[in-house]
Amino acid sequence: MQVVLNWGRRYSLWVFNFGLACCAIEFISASMARHDFIRLGVIPFAPGPRQSDLMVVSGTVTDKMAPAIRRLYDQMPEPKYVISFGACSNSGGPYWDSYCVTKGVDQLIPVDVYVPGCPPRPEALLHGIVTLQEQIAAETPGQARSRSGSRYADRPVTAGEVTRDLVAPPAQD
Amino acid sequence: MSGVRGLLRGLGTTARTLTRRAHTAQYPHTEPTLPERSRGVIALLEENCTSCMLCARECPDWCITIDSHKETLPAQTEGGRERSHNVLDRFDIDFSLCMYCGICIEVCPFDALFWAPDFAYAEGDIRNLLHDKERLGTFMASVPESALPTAEEKG
Repeated sequence: MQVVLNWGRRYSLWVFNFGLACCAIEFISASMARHDFIRLGVIPFAPGPRQSDLMVVSGTVTDKMAPAIRRLYDQMPEPKYVISFGACSNSGGPYWDSYCVTKGVDQLIPVDVYVPGCPPRPEALLHGIVTLQEQIAAETPGQARSRSGSRYADRPVTAGEVTRDLVAPPAQD
Repeated sequence: MSGVRGLLRGLGTTARTLTRRAHTAQYPHTEPTLPERSRGVIALLEENCTSCMLCARECPDWCITIDSHKETLPAQTEGGRERSHNVLDRFDIDFSLCMYCGICIEVCPFDALFWAPDFAYAEGDIRNLLHDKERLGTFMASVPESALPTAEEKG
């Protein structure tokens, strides 16, 4: 039973591309004829987050964008998986010192596979997908993966909770 | 009339494509043919590293961490002077931060860093993207022959 469920999940990952920057171009390249990740059962261009199983966050996540990412992730039905694609979404990348860039999308949502690169090759995404499929094959259905330990992982949140408050003005003497 | 001709030409293109083989690269089954100097991962040749910290200081992301300590070599000859040299304890590159600019490789004066074309090191845990010097050393096996300093001597 478990094997059948995992086998089904593994090879029918409808993917929802959260393309925020240049890494999205590599994602598109991986979905086109040359690399063609439909071979691996990853079907691009899901109508929306409610019809998808896998979210690929490719690009720089800013604090302004963070509530939208969280909301769309909450709209995805279980079981759901996230691939963080590229240095910016892994940890902020070159912008880790910026005031407005989220230091890794894993601060907002639980991430299953991190693909390194700036940007990663399309083949690196395919390798990430294969890694994710191996993880799915090994999981117990209903007890999905990396979610424990993540701050917001196990409950839906409103956009207000992941939005940073306005910085208070300095105290006047 | 010209509409019909355009339609037929389009169908002709489609028919020609039918006779061609797909150009899809079957990646997990076949390895891609990458350019020799493609920027996949940074390899470390540990014995060349003098822990001079140039790479760590030049890195725009500060993704290189180096720890070293000094060791003193006793004098070789009678009345000679003791020599001290650096011993590398830790050389970490955080590939979740690295932007693959290659500045560390450019500035390394002792040819200890090289580009290797490997790209398949996606991880389930972000902590595993911090590669230590042993792991960076394993990438030396895939550094192209022409990039090694010995290639220059051979001519």
